[in-house]
Amino acid sequence: MLSTFHGLEAARRGMMAQQAALYTTSHNIANANTEGYTRQRVQLQPTPPFPTPGLNRPNIPGQMGTGVEASSVERVREYFLDIQYRGENSKLGYWEARADAVAKMEDIMNEPSDSGLAKTMDQFWQALQDLSTQPENEGARSVVRQRGLAVVETFHYLSNSLTQIRTDIGTQIGTTVTEINSLLNQISALNARIAEIEPNGYLPNDLYDERDRLIDELSQYMEIGVEKHPTGGNALPMAEGTYDVYVMNGSAKVYLVQGRTASAVSFPDGSDVDGDGVKEMPPASGVNALDISGTTISFTALSNGKLRGLIEGYGYQAGTDASGQPIVKGLYPDMLSNLDKLAYTFGTVFNAVHQQGYGLNGSTNHPFFDGISAVSGAANTIKLAANIDDLANIAASTKSGETGNGNNAINLANVRSLLLSNATVSLQDGISVNLASLNLPLSSGTVETNYQGWIGQLGVDGEQANRMKTNSETLRQSVEEKRQSVSSVSLDEEMMNMIKFQHAYNAAARQITVIDEMLDKLINGMGVVGR
Amino acid sequence: MRITQSMLANNTLKQIARSYANLDKYQTQLSTGKKITRPSDDPVVAMKGIAYRSNLAEVEQFKRNFSEAYNWVENSDSALDKATQALQRIRELTVQASNDTYEETQRQAIAKEVRQLTEHLVTIANTKVGDKYIFNGAKTTEPPVTVNPDGTISVSTNSQQLNIELAKGIYIPVNIPPSTAFGAGSGLFSDLQNLAAALENPSTTGNDVTGYLDKLDSHLTNLLGVRAELGARMNRIELMEDRIDSQQVIAEKMLSDNEDVDLEKVITDLKTQESVHRAALAVGTRVIQPTLVDFLR
Repeated sequence: MLSTFHGLEAARRGMMAQQAALYTTSHNIANANTEGYTRQRVQLQPTPPFPTPGLNRPNIPGQMGTGVEASSVERVREYFLDIQYRGENSKLGYWEARADAVAKMEDIMNEPSDSGLAKTMDQFWQALQDLSTQPENEGARSVVRQRGLAVVETFHYLSNSLTQIRTDIGTQIGTTVTEINSLLNQISALNARIAEIEPNGYLPNDLYDERDRLIDELSQYMEIGVEKHPTGGNALPMAEGTYDVYVMNGSAKVYLVQGRTASAVSFPDGSDVDGDGVKEMPPASGVNALDISGTTISFTALSNGKLRGLIEGYGYQAGTDASGQPIVKGLYPDMLSNLDKLAYTFGTVFNAVHQQGYGLNGSTNHPFFDGISAVSGAANTIKLAANIDDLANIAASTKSGETGNGNNAINLANVRSLLLSNATVSLQDGISVNLASLNLPLSSGTVETNYQGWIGQLGVDGEQANRMKTNSETLRQSVEEKRQSVSSVSLDEEMMNMIKFQHAYNAAARQITVIDEMLDKLINGMGVVGR
Repeated sequence: MRITQSMLANNTLKQIARSYANLDKYQTQLSTGKKITRPSDDPVVAMKGIAYRSNLAEVEQFKRNFSEAYNWVENSDSALDKATQALQRIRELTVQASNDTYEETQRQAIAKEVRQLTEHLVTIANTKVGDKYIFNGAKTTEPPVTVNPDGTISVSTNSQQLNIELAKGIYIPVNIPPSTAFGAGSGLFSDLQNLAAALENPSTTGNDVTGYLDKLDSHLTNLLGVRAELGARMNRIELMEDRIDSQQVIAEKMLSDNEDVDLEKVITDLKTQESVHRAALAVGTRVIQPTLVDFLR
């Protein structure tokens, strides 16, 4: 037998469920512009029909429906798109960091232009040519000295500026590592809260959204993977569970977040600047390894992400040299070492030619450049030799006492275009340089072409970084669009739903009125025949 | 595909940003006149740009060296021209004096003139251009010819060639060493002094004087030879200058072809981009379409 009030209960359930759906619609509309928000849907499902099979079931035809209930409130989201998005995001993070590092270097090198190192070298060459035509002229000598000074100062400027930017990138790495650690802590805290809520049979949708947003953010710094672990208890089947976040070290997973515990990323040989006990600043000698709460992974294990891009700019250790010192590679260390090599090679060969010539006063064996005793740091230490302050010491002549002899000035001018692969180079007027005995760090091309080559390499690096940045940006955009297509709030759709739920709510209320009239008839209008 | 309002807004913003980036590119190209502003814009253009700049700087320097070379050769030539004239005059005087009809006093007058002309030749040999002696090899701060206290004249022996680089790897000698112009040792000057001494000597006969004519002739021939050499050098320098001139044009053209923008093309591109940008903005105004909200009541 159905209860007298069965209809009332079914209609009440209808009103309650539609109301819940309407409230979720309001929540969606309110969050239409919230970053990382996923639209939510109330899952409506019919309540169990009456009667349920049993020995003393009432003998009525068929099962009667008993109304509706809101079984759960779920997010509309595709996990697969999240994985794609995070993959592209870490690529974008890597190429963005690299493109940025190259762009800053291009700004400093300032080539091709009328003020870069190449132009300064050109002007020095011109001054030497002028000197060769007027070797007895103090003015021409003074110009050579000043232009030489300009070459030296350009080397200093480039070396100092590049070192400064490298230090800045180091600081940026520190900030990035701090940011990563903060994200890891937030993710593990969310895991903990989710693990407390899910066993009660709820879906903490807004916490899920927040956690996904944090993982998206984390993915730009490192290429990460996510594992889901159910929380147990009364958790619903569609509950997301806790997330374990890991990076791959070869084929092994190294966990950044495991349930409620977050690892700390740090540099084992780095330093702790902000005093939080985590060594977030990379060592000055370049990054060798990362420490993830006790597990040491090589920097090369990071396949993508901003962190790797920054480290490649800052410098990393690639093995050790013969004397056991680490070899530092990377965008900035490479260019700095190239400039050192260039300054050393140019200065040393120039000195070798200069020392064979004679000054206006017959002086000989004077070096022109000083401060180039070692290759490392030569670009920063190179300077004009003190004796060049006396302009007469500039050795323009190939013979003693010949004031009008400018042949050695021509030789000096030609230093920049000497083929460095030759063992011995013969110059004008019987002067020759034994390049093999100078142990030059550059042994191919000329001083000029080596420099051009590095600028070309820098350009190629930058071009590639910019292209890949654009590519991964486009790909990320396209995945993001797909994700938005699934998850973002459409106002039209919400309005439609609102109307739908409103009408259903109204109809359920109307149903109650109808049943009320039925009951009124039954209770007050029956058994009064003939009255 | 399900499209939502936020997707439209994001897309529009992205397109406008991209359009701005293009506008920026074309405007930078127009205002700098260069195709690239940094190596990563086009690494090949950047690398070539550095090489072409050095190339052009070299050519420009060589052009500057030419004026120096002309300076040397022209001054040497004009000095030697004066020297030739003086020698011619001495020869004429010698021919006159070789006449035995000339008396002792007349010969002495001629001897005076010869001595004066010799001094004139000394000053010619010591010609200074700017602050350097052009006939003393590499010792340009010392005079090539000095008159000793005992009246004898000595000529410097420095024979260093002064080279000027007038094209890559081509060194042209521009000076005439003193021994070539005025004879080895004190050749010319001692002959002239001997001639004057002979003219002053009353016992000198016309035949003795005639003997000096041969010596004078050989000195004249030598000077002419040197001047012919200078003329040939001058020709060579002029030819080279022609070549360097055309090299400069080529170097400038290569530099320009490599990195200068094609203005017509960039302006057209910019104009096109402007209309695209206007379209993007116009589309932007349509992003906010009425939704169902506007029709429900």
